[in-house]
Amino acid sequence: MDVELAPADAPPSPPRLLRAWRRLRAQRKAVAGLAVVLAFVLAALAAPLLSPYAPTDQDFINAMQPPSAAHWLGTDSFGQDLYTRLLYGARSALWIGFASVAVGLAGGVALGLLAGLRGGRTEWLAMRVVDGLLAFPELIMAMAFMAIFGLGLSNVVYALGLSFVGPFARMVRADVLQVKQRPYVEAARLMGVPPRDIVMRHVLPNIASPILIQAGMRVSIAILLGSGLSFLGLGVVPPTPDWGLMIAEGRGFITMAPWISGIPGLALAILLVGLNLFAEGLRDALDPRTRQD
Amino acid sequence: MTEALLSVENFTLARAGVAVLDDISLVLPRGRSLALIGESGAGKSTLAYAAMGLLRPPEVALRGRLQVGDADVASAPERRLRALRGARMGLIFQDATAALNPCFTVLQHLSEPLRRHRGLARTACRARALELLDGVGIADPERRLAAYPHELSGGMQQRVMIAIALACEPELLIADEPTSALDVTIQAQIMTLILARVRALGASVVFVLHDLALAVQVADEVAVMYAGQIVETGPAGEVLNTPAHPYTQGLRASAIEFGAQRLQPIAGVVPPLSAMPPGCRFAPRCPRASARCVQRPALTERGPRALACWHA
Amino acid sequence: MTRRLLGALGQTLLVLLVVSAVSFAFLKLAPGDPVALMLGSDYSRDSYDKLYAELGLGRPLPVQYADWLLRFVQGDWGMSYVSHQPIFEQAVLQALPVTLALAGLSLALALAVGIPLGVVAAVRRNSWIDMAASTLAVGGNAFPSFYLGVVLIWIFGVSLGWFPTMGFVAPWEDLGAGLWHLTLPAVTLGAWYVGLIATVTRSSLLEVLEQPYMMAARARGEPAWRVIWVHGMRNVLMPLVTVIGLQLGGMLRGAVMTEVVFTLPGLGMMITSAVQGREYIVVQAGIMITALLFIVVNFVVDQTYAILDPRLRKHGR
Repeated sequence: MDVELAPADAPPSPPRLLRAWRRLRAQRKAVAGLAVVLAFVLAALAAPLLSPYAPTDQDFINAMQPPSAAHWLGTDSFGQDLYTRLLYGARSALWIGFASVAVGLAGGVALGLLAGLRGGRTEWLAMRVVDGLLAFPELIMAMAFMAIFGLGLSNVVYALGLSFVGPFARMVRADVLQVKQRPYVEAARLMGVPPRDIVMRHVLPNIASPILIQAGMRVSIAILLGSGLSFLGLGVVPPTPDWGLMIAEGRGFITMAPWISGIPGLALAILLVGLNLFAEGLRDALDPRTRQD
Repeated sequence: MTEALLSVENFTLARAGVAVLDDISLVLPRGRSLALIGESGAGKSTLAYAAMGLLRPPEVALRGRLQVGDADVASAPERRLRALRGARMGLIFQDATAALNPCFTVLQHLSEPLRRHRGLARTACRARALELLDGVGIADPERRLAAYPHELSGGMQQRVMIAIALACEPELLIADEPTSALDVTIQAQIMTLILARVRALGASVVFVLHDLALAVQVADEVAVMYAGQIVETGPAGEVLNTPAHPYTQGLRASAIEFGAQRLQPIAGVVPPLSAMPPGCRFAPRCPRASARCVQRPALTERGPRALACWHA
Repeated sequence: MTRRLLGALGQTLLVLLVVSAVSFAFLKLAPGDPVALMLGSDYSRDSYDKLYAELGLGRPLPVQYADWLLRFVQGDWGMSYVSHQPIFEQAVLQALPVTLALAGLSLALALAVGIPLGVVAAVRRNSWIDMAASTLAVGGNAFPSFYLGVVLIWIFGVSLGWFPTMGFVAPWEDLGAGLWHLTLPAVTLGAWYVGLIATVTRSSLLEVLEQPYMMAARARGEPAWRVIWVHGMRNVLMPLVTVIGLQLGGMLRGAVMTEVVFTLPGLGMMITSAVQGREYIVVQAGIMITALLFIVVNFVVDQTYAILDPRLRKHGR
């Protein structure tokens, strides 16, 4: 028959160069995002070194000052230095973000594995519970938790972590189901490999990367929710430096001292953008569609 | 002499500076059928879509003349072309499953050209749609009207495609590999159907095919394309049984026939669009190539046939 | 089709049961003595005992749960000791419509801006509109709604004075004033969605544009705008609805923040003040009704899939 040749009539599949460019761009996104996040992490860690003030040093004489040489980003209504509070606020934001995701991951992976691997009645029941959990919007569930157990940084972490168990459980179960069907798992089972080994050696490594990417994307949501809770007065307790709290405190003074709310909000937005860029870039770079070779 | 329905003269279509169709000329009289033969990537489908006016600047650059009836597709305004498409020209796609919108019923598909070009109202549309379905041999047309594409078999989807293309009784029908995606058993049925309907309308039809044997059976004339150039034309039987151009000879020799002892492919591959040789594009693979071939041979007439080769 | 519907309903009921159990557990876990809270600061042993018996607090938990659930579905949600109103009235008749109005307007705004933006970005790739759309997507997702709300209040409410910065007027009572009060909140909440909608529209449309049925429609003589908006968008609706459904949680979260920032008396505001004021019974009603809302909307979204994509209809889910 005819020799099969490269089609020129059909729309050309992305040439190698384009694919490589896409991957590079995705990596640049990821690198840019990572740079931003690292900057914040460094600032948070080095906070005591980067500022002469303590975050809760009050100085009513100099309250509500615009940015100046003495106070680089101004002061708030208590005379606390905004720049310092920004740096320390990064600590609570980052801690809340990563710790709550870790908690949610732990619970979600456990529940998802149980549901995915056991199957049958156990799975069905577990998934109904997950559905029930998922019916509560994360913020609402966190608020309810804070209502019962009280305010404070660690409670915020637990509250958010609990609200993430549902989403993670659902994700993990779906991934486990997919992996379960793969030929090598089937083969291992037939060869009599004990279930625990199958889980550790075959299932877990293969669900690890999509789950971790999802977890990464969830960190920015966690930070968003955490500052939201503080904004509502249901998160950390004043005078702990927290960006959400600072935005709330500055609301009343928005006309005369807009920097009190404005600056922490900008910091929050930049950190979130950085996190999102990094997670998206990572996901794009690992996307099987761009990896056709 | 029957007047020409489709008349292409020195037509060139370029994409991103590269000539995908290079100086094409051919003529199709009214009521006759033409088969465009060639390998994948020869430009057959491109020529078919260009004839429908679906490839226009700024995505592509056009030169020359491509006349369908009294309209020059290469230069006519979009509005004029829209009036022609679906009304005086019909296109049948290769993959009927993909060419039917999964969200619309058969009736909705058929009604579109009927409403647009004939201005039919609902009841008239429905009646005509039933007629059309009947005309393409679909049993129980009433039920099929309300069906969605995924509920129909491949053969039936193609019949619906044909019905849509013929809805407004076009003068020119272009069929792009209409049976390639179908089971062999159905291929003959569909081809017969197309030929019958076209004959009944007195329309001209252009088949885009890669199957030589099929071309002989369905077309009066044949035009062989290679890498965007026409290398040979003429009556189907003659050209394919006694090919004159080295490429056509190669095609024939490489066609798998029962009883043949060995496969005889044509050596080499089609050069990529960006690296086309000057002059005759087949030269690098041609057993008869010589220094003369850097200059493109013109399509010269030899009786009822035409040939573009220095050595035949 | 009805069998599938019934199956889905059955599942939903079960989920509702789990939700109610969680809410009940919440109430039981709440700190403080409910009787003491209800009676206020000064009460006698007698009135305490009486109320205790009345509330049935001595009975075994499953009995209490059943009783509570029974009363709940009948609309008896208890009395708020702060506002002295039946909670059902407060939550469903007063707060819920506000939240729905806000969410509805925000979604409408986000669709009205996001869809055309996505379509243009897809049709004219790599133009400045394409860049604008992706920037909006990244930015809209990053700015927390409460921050955006504060900024908008500062610029448009206080500095320019174009819009009111707080309060709610029911659009069904006074359309003009209602919409005017809802404008800034709706923009705040919608901003988060706009980028998302534009992105999804753009990427699905890009895929759809390559499909042969689009070319086939053109081959029938349909004008370009019709090919995109009728043939193309019809196939984009499904991923769009999927995304909107998935992000409902985000919308509710944003609604809570927006209501607090703009002082709108919706569900979010209700729950927040109840948590701050330790009025657990109102909080519980609040979480129940949000979960219910969520479930109902998800259910509707799920059923819409079958309507949108005929390929899903015959084979059930």
